[in-house]
Amino acid sequence: MTAESNDLVISRLVRAPRAAVWRAWTDPVLLKEWWCPKPWATEVRAFDLRPGGDFHTFMSGPDGGTSDNPGCFLEVVPQSRIAFTSLLTGGWRPATPWMAFSAVVTMADEGEGTRYVATVMHPDLATRDRHEELGFFDGWNTCIDQLESFAAGLGR
Amino acid sequence: MANQQAALDDVFYALADPTRRSIVNTLGQGPASVSALAAPFPMALPSFMKHLSVLERSGLVRSSKQGRVRTCELQPRVLTQAERWMARQRAVWEARTDRMAALAERLHQEDPRHDR
Repeated sequence: MTAESNDLVISRLVRAPRAAVWRAWTDPVLLKEWWCPKPWATEVRAFDLRPGGDFHTFMSGPDGGTSDNPGCFLEVVPQSRIAFTSLLTGGWRPATPWMAFSAVVTMADEGEGTRYVATVMHPDLATRDRHEELGFFDGWNTCIDQLESFAAGLGR
Repeated sequence: MANQQAALDDVFYALADPTRRSIVNTLGQGPASVSALAAPFPMALPSFMKHLSVLERSGLVRSSKQGRVRTCELQPRVLTQAERWMARQRAVWEARTDRMAALAERLHQEDPRHDR
């Protein structure tokens, strides 16, 4: 990977078989339970699970803030792999998202459970300033603030 | 930029462990000797030193030796704007992944037969 400085790799050992992980991911009724943190709510506007199919989430917060995220599935391998992007919408139609990214999630057997790895790739940091403006991350700032407090020695 | 991200990953890794977070918390109150830091933990000193070296590699902690006493000190570290942005993205995806994993584990517990 060339732009790895803008990549995130998140890995978890899930104590459930792949079928359960796959179900949590691919049933839109279940996906909206975990896609964004409460009190934000996720509306799954499209979930056409096939390459080129629409994947569109719309999130709304308690203070009236919203985040509209149309996208497109790129690759779907049952119980194994899902790739999707914000740079296209259904039918491979090019999009100009407010945040450009592609993500690949993989699921593999590991012991009694499942190794789940999400790789989220961002093209560059040019879009980040627009991102900052939205204030969508207010709910998550606590985590970063804690990190900085730890790092600065000002923590609890 | 790549170095910045690698450095940030080291910080996240360092803080992902309860022993190391506890060390950082203690050092938040001021510098301390290795032996004083290690005392509350029921682990052998070499294991404790491994935790300490992870913290030192991340840049969060610096240590210096005077005579026979090694003293550790927290290093103030302010994230750059780029680091903050990536840290936020990471926070989003880490938390999202935790929620997904918790739901999958609940599904499995509720009905272990159907998901094989």
